[in-house]
Amino acid sequence: MAQSPARPSKKPTRKPAPAKAPARRPTSDAATLAAAVAEFARGKFDVKFRPEDYADPGLRLVAEALDSAGGDVGTQLKEFNERVQNVSHGVDEAIEALIRLVVQGDLSGELRLSVTDATLTPLIAGIGQVMETLKRFATEIREAALQLSTSSAEVLAAATQNESSTAAQASAIHETTATMEELKGASHQIAENAQMVAAIAEQTLTGARQGEGSIKLFMASMEKVRHNAVEVDEAIGKLSKRVERIGTVVEVIDEIADRSDLLALNAALEGAKAGEAGRGFSIVAAEMRRLAENVMESTKEIKNLITEIRESTHAAKQASDGNKREASEGEKLGGAAMTSVSGILTGIQETSDAARVIHLATQQQRTATEQVVLSMSEIEEVTRSAQSGSRQATGAASELTKLAERLAELVKRFKVD
Amino acid sequence: MTEPVSELLMFQVGARVFASTVRDVVRIGNVAAAGSDGLIEGTSLGPTFARERGIVVAAPEGGVESTLVVDQVLGVRSVPESEIQPLPAFAAAVIRSGAVSGLVLFDEAPTLIVDLPTLVRERLAAALASPSPA
Repeated sequence: MAQSPARPSKKPTRKPAPAKAPARRPTSDAATLAAAVAEFARGKFDVKFRPEDYADPGLRLVAEALDSAGGDVGTQLKEFNERVQNVSHGVDEAIEALIRLVVQGDLSGELRLSVTDATLTPLIAGIGQVMETLKRFATEIREAALQLSTSSAEVLAAATQNESSTAAQASAIHETTATMEELKGASHQIAENAQMVAAIAEQTLTGARQGEGSIKLFMASMEKVRHNAVEVDEAIGKLSKRVERIGTVVEVIDEIADRSDLLALNAALEGAKAGEAGRGFSIVAAEMRRLAENVMESTKEIKNLITEIRESTHAAKQASDGNKREASEGEKLGGAAMTSVSGILTGIQETSDAARVIHLATQQQRTATEQVVLSMSEIEEVTRSAQSGSRQATGAASELTKLAERLAELVKRFKVD
Repeated sequence: MTEPVSELLMFQVGARVFASTVRDVVRIGNVAAAGSDGLIEGTSLGPTFARERGIVVAAPEGGVESTLVVDQVLGVRSVPESEIQPLPAFAAAVIRSGAVSGLVLFDEAPTLIVDLPTLVRERLAAALASPSPA
């Protein structure tokens, strides 16, 4: 460090005050001496005690001692003033050196003063310590500025990344909110559809139960049909037996009529052989034969009727058997239909229950979705705030980076090496 | 004085009606009750279908009676003998049987008059000429 040039002290040199004549002559020597001592005590060190003016020897000795002491005090005061001037000059020089090193930022040298006074040694040592402290501070600040610059750059990068992420997050949340809105609408639609399905299932259930009742009635009718068919079959059997009996009787009648016809023919034959005598016999025989032929015609008609009745009863028997088979088949089909309808009823009941559960679940889902949408809106709002904060943080980080660079530039001004 | 009449037995073989004099007929019987012995079928009168009646014909010279199987016996009718006409020569040549002795008109329809003993004889002779295989 360059030594500070000496400069004249700005403080004026203290001069002894001129002795002032007493305002009035003391009335005694002791009083005169006391007044002189009082003047001296007030700092008027050039006062003259004039020992020769005192007649009393004691006062003279006191005046002589005081006069001697006054001379010494003046000399010492002069030396003191000179020393004060030197010290003041050294302090000014030190302050000027401090101001200069602070302004120039050069902390690499040492403080050297032109004035050498022991009184200034602590000041020089203190300034040295201050410089060392400043040098350490400058070094630490430089390192801190460097770290701050690095950290602020990292903070800027992180803030930029955070801002980008927040923007992406806000976009994703916005899309998620829109999707949840659509999901809410879909949930509403599903709930309505599930309610409709439940209503349809309920209607189908009612219809299926009616169908079940109809099938039961159908099965009862089938059983009655089968029962009636059995009765008809039995009646046809009885009718057939009676017809057969009638046929047998008719056969007997026909046989008798045939024999009667044959007998009448032979009677007519014999009458004809007898000639005129047998004419009446022939007439009776002819009449008998006509009756027999009538009987045979009737029995033939009866046989035809019996044949028709046989065919009809046979057809009725076949129809009755068919009715029994159909009734039995109908009962089986009714049983199968009953089983199917029971399964359908179970399925419809399950469908109805499931649709009702789906309806409730979708209602809960809709409520939950609405809450999610609300939460997503709040999250979106918070994310927008976070995005704004991130933008501000990025701006602050950028500003911080600039300030760190500025600080590093400023710290570079301090030369410590 | 009344005109002499002939008593004719009317019978049916197949779809055709024939007549024969009652003197040649012993009685009329039932084919089903007669059994198979002495039944005459397959004559020149044609095939039978119903086979309901049998006309019992007396055998000549004390032989066994024969039963001509016919489908139906219609009855006895009295016919003036003047209405009985001989069989035309052309018809007799076509029929090729001596059993048909004449014809009579019933309701303007010609009815052949059959000599039953001759018919039975012809059938029996034909049966003897061509015996059925054992």
